[in-house]
Amino acid sequence: MATIAPAVEEKKSVEKTALITGAEAIAVACQLADVDVITAYPIRPYDTVMQYISRLVSNGEMDCEYIVAEGEHSQFEIVKHASAVGARVFCGSSGVGWMYAMEALTVTPALRIPMVCMVGNRALDDPGAFGTEHNDALTVRDLGWMLNWVDSGQEALDTTLIAYRVAEDRRIFLPCAISCDGAFLTHSQSLVTIPSQEKVNEFLPRYNRADLLLHPDNPITVAPQVNEDWVMEIRRQGYAAMERTFGVIKEAYADFERIFGRSYGHPFFEEYETDDADVVLMGMGTLSTPVKVAIRQMRKAGKKVGFVRMRWFRPFDADGLAKCLSRFKAVGVIDRDYSFGSPHLGGVLAGEVRNALYPGAGKKPPVLDFICGLGGREVTIPDVERITDSVYRAAEGKQQPLTQWIGLRE
Amino acid sequence: MATIIQIDPTQQLDPFKSVKKIPTHEFFTSGHRTCQGCESALVMKMMVKAAGPRTIVLGSTGCMYVANTTYYSTSWVVPWMHTQLGSSGSAALGTAAGLKAQMRKGKMKKEPINVIAFCGDGGGADMGLGAISATMTHPDYNLLILLYDNESYANTDIQLSGSTPWGANTTFSTPGTVKRIMHHRWKKNMAGLMAVGHPTCRYVSTICMSYGLHGMNSIRKALTIGGPTFIHSLDPCPKGWDYDPIQSHELGELAVQTGIWPLYEVEDGKLRLTGRTQQIADKKIPRKPVRDYLLRQGRFAHFTNDDLDYFQSKIDEMWTKWLIPGVIPFEKDLAADNPPA
Amino acid sequence: MGRLFAVEIVYRGIFQRKLATNISRAIVLAAHLDGKPGISFGRYGDSPERNGIPAKNFAIVATDEQTLEEGKAKYEPKEVDVTICVDDTLCKGVESWAWYGLQPINKLTKPGGTLIVVSMEPPETLIGMAHSKNTPYNLAIVKGTRSFSGLWVFKDDHSDVRIMGAIAKVLPEVFSLNAIKQTIQSEWKDPVKVASAEKSYNRVTKLAVKPGQGNPETPYKFELPKWHEMGEGVAIPCITAGKQMEDPTTHVMGGIRPDRNPTFKKFSTRTMRPVVNFETCIKCTLCWLQCPDTCFDVTPEGLYDANMEACCGCGVCEAVCPVEKCVSMVAETEFKDNGSQWEMWRKDATGYLTWLNQKIEKRPERSHGFRYKGQYQEQVGEMLQIAQEG
Repeated sequence: MATIAPAVEEKKSVEKTALITGAEAIAVACQLADVDVITAYPIRPYDTVMQYISRLVSNGEMDCEYIVAEGEHSQFEIVKHASAVGARVFCGSSGVGWMYAMEALTVTPALRIPMVCMVGNRALDDPGAFGTEHNDALTVRDLGWMLNWVDSGQEALDTTLIAYRVAEDRRIFLPCAISCDGAFLTHSQSLVTIPSQEKVNEFLPRYNRADLLLHPDNPITVAPQVNEDWVMEIRRQGYAAMERTFGVIKEAYADFERIFGRSYGHPFFEEYETDDADVVLMGMGTLSTPVKVAIRQMRKAGKKVGFVRMRWFRPFDADGLAKCLSRFKAVGVIDRDYSFGSPHLGGVLAGEVRNALYPGAGKKPPVLDFICGLGGREVTIPDVERITDSVYRAAEGKQQPLTQWIGLRE
Repeated sequence: MATIIQIDPTQQLDPFKSVKKIPTHEFFTSGHRTCQGCESALVMKMMVKAAGPRTIVLGSTGCMYVANTTYYSTSWVVPWMHTQLGSSGSAALGTAAGLKAQMRKGKMKKEPINVIAFCGDGGGADMGLGAISATMTHPDYNLLILLYDNESYANTDIQLSGSTPWGANTTFSTPGTVKRIMHHRWKKNMAGLMAVGHPTCRYVSTICMSYGLHGMNSIRKALTIGGPTFIHSLDPCPKGWDYDPIQSHELGELAVQTGIWPLYEVEDGKLRLTGRTQQIADKKIPRKPVRDYLLRQGRFAHFTNDDLDYFQSKIDEMWTKWLIPGVIPFEKDLAADNPPA
Repeated sequence: MGRLFAVEIVYRGIFQRKLATNISRAIVLAAHLDGKPGISFGRYGDSPERNGIPAKNFAIVATDEQTLEEGKAKYEPKEVDVTICVDDTLCKGVESWAWYGLQPINKLTKPGGTLIVVSMEPPETLIGMAHSKNTPYNLAIVKGTRSFSGLWVFKDDHSDVRIMGAIAKVLPEVFSLNAIKQTIQSEWKDPVKVASAEKSYNRVTKLAVKPGQGNPETPYKFELPKWHEMGEGVAIPCITAGKQMEDPTTHVMGGIRPDRNPTFKKFSTRTMRPVVNFETCIKCTLCWLQCPDTCFDVTPEGLYDANMEACCGCGVCEAVCPVEKCVSMVAETEFKDNGSQWEMWRKDATGYLTWLNQKIEKRPERSHGFRYKGQYQEQVGEMLQIAQEG
């Protein structure tokens, strides 16, 4: 059986407010979570989180092993193995850096390693660009990662704590990647409430790897070679763990609200101005800001538009979303990503939304897909208005292209 | 200066004084799907016998992963975890860091636990070279990376790697009618590279488990000395080298006795030739001709006398011209040493 | 209705890989000449093959394409018309990978099918080695020593063509003698090989094996756990530490018998096993130390007993032992069980030594792979002679 760990002296701190970037908010969350091992490798725009952590470590505000790897593959492999021996770990990358780590990213969920990562969403090379695009994080969507998109520094900090709580729950033991739009979230500073250490200690128990701990007191062989007689059963276990995430996520958010006094409502997606909406827009990440501003303006002009922002992409709350969307006459999904050759040559999110709606018993509104904001291009208020006009036409029964490119010079 | 490096204590593993003093407990047992006469499996057995029970082993993809943990079973008695082909460096580092952090922060009982990551020549000297190199520069972590070299990507049915000897037959270097020698690259000098390239690494050695006591004691020294360490083992492979398995032990000895595989260790910057290699260097025993070794293996059966002569000349060069045989492949410019008066 | 034919070749991995592939390919090519389509394939689960570990190759042939598809739809045939065993020690049963259990050589041989074995042993020995079935089958022997090569150098001793000649005789519906002769000529362009095949065809005879004849033991097998019975995180428990051995006469406890992987024993990999002379042993430890498979149990008095449930027959122990005839590799066909030699000796030292000397005396020259350049050419002559004499 696993070693019983001796007690850690409980640290104390007071709640405070700070003007920090999304990346720094996540660094602060790691400090509050008493992360044990962190690996860093430079790539923009995620790596400011690692720069902040370096200062926290050197100033004695954080006690962890801080290792600079020689490449992203090693970076993620190092923390994967640290987690296997019971250490709480944090890692992160962006764009092609995340792709360079792909082998490590693939094995991490299968090994049931509760790694928490930050993905500073960035357009994939080639052509190289530092601006935001969601394809990097989305690449692991089939493999067992929990995937989440945040749109503010506060949400980044809070979600990191929630991610550790959910990922390290023995019923789950799956990794979680928190996506932050490059530049808009990673580099812009906003006011963030930093909770007290006592409250964090109450919310987040210590990581206990239990029966899966790799240690001489618990001799196990982890990941022997298998063949076709075993793979299906192993994957079925991963399926079961992912099935359980819905419940564990709900528990975590309920507890979060109770302890920190901040409510996120329905954990899996945010609804904005949807109570009386005719049509809704959908999207992930920081495009929520121009969308919300545009919606307020359009409402003044009499248009009843709402917005549904997916927080959790994996697990995908299909039942909840189908029920929600069945109330509206049409849906416009803004994809800050692409999926060349996919059905209707659309983006990833629209495909998932249509998939969620299709089997449901409720009404199925037309779903239009708008590719927008790629490579860090701004999603402007006129863009949102143009999108909304098209969605309204679909709501009126008029034929609209299933996939449209918005904000493109053409 | 030295206090910047914060290193934990290691286990004190004294060398085994003789074969009779080797403990009988097994930490890698029978029931692995390796070839008959697999010397790499012998390395595994000796490795953990030398390390003892308070050990965690990380095994990168290769024969010693696929064959040893075949189809949802295991031969390991000590805890073992798979890691990726090029990840032995990262796995060792991550494991050591995870243990160290938890012990320092009072989350885990403090004790010296051996961390050993093994890799084959393909996974280690080729794909994983970068990760191993990075790990060798980390003075704060106690770990051993053991490279077992059967001179091919053996698990995928024998393809050449950067450690395959010149001219050898593999599925990627098939002797044909137009190109007889497809593989005309010389074997990478991996251990030398590790020793020379990482000045703060305290221990690098080469071993061959045909000299089992020597090999095990080298492993014990590496685990005791502290910091990141590297050992390169040559292991004859009946499948890839194509020979009757009964010859496995003898071929290991011949690799050393022909001077092809020099045994040495670099400990805190001091180089020592060891075992038979030292005796050859001191001219106490002759250096056997390479053909005594090469012609016992089917992978060299296509060699002509010219090929054998060439191979011999390269080994002769290593022994007569290199600054240090098997370690430093540079010649000294003798003329410069004796400038005109 | 079409007819589907299946032939399996059970062989020693790596050592007989080329031999097995030659046979399965030739079956398909010959059948094709006789108007029947077919496919040949190595079993994927055996890959990567390991020296000595039993493996299987298949040739599926049908009277027409649609019937052939029925054969292709299965990963592995559920029954075969002919089982070819190219190393007679495989008749004791094969364990190809973990959880596979020990499977009888004739497991897939259909009722009335034929087991063709390459052997110098008489039929009674071979029938006795194979597990008994409750359906009848036939045994055909192709006289010869086992043909072992390696990955790079092939010992072309005509074993392949002699087997093909035998198949044409026992299962003429698959291909005719003419078809196989033509195939051999076009593949190898060697009329001597063609003649070998024909000689084998003429000489081979079938012997009926009745239901219930053979080794009555039930070979071990494993039940695979369900998904929710398996540990999470792809983690399984390690093997436990060993236990002390008990002397069968004095009951003194001591030494160590290591615990071993229960789901892969590996003894079916053996073509020969070491026989140990405990009286001449000087306890140098080298056999125990240098065994790659940790086969040696350490007895209470510090002797080394090769555990026959674990030994895979590589021969390194014989090579490293400094005492002449202390460890000697003997053909596996000489033994009927996996009993402990040390216990046998402890119970009756004189009897054991008599038994040991008798076993060592009869040792044929072993051919277990490449030893030096030119060796196979020397050995081929000897094997062709055996073939001539039939």
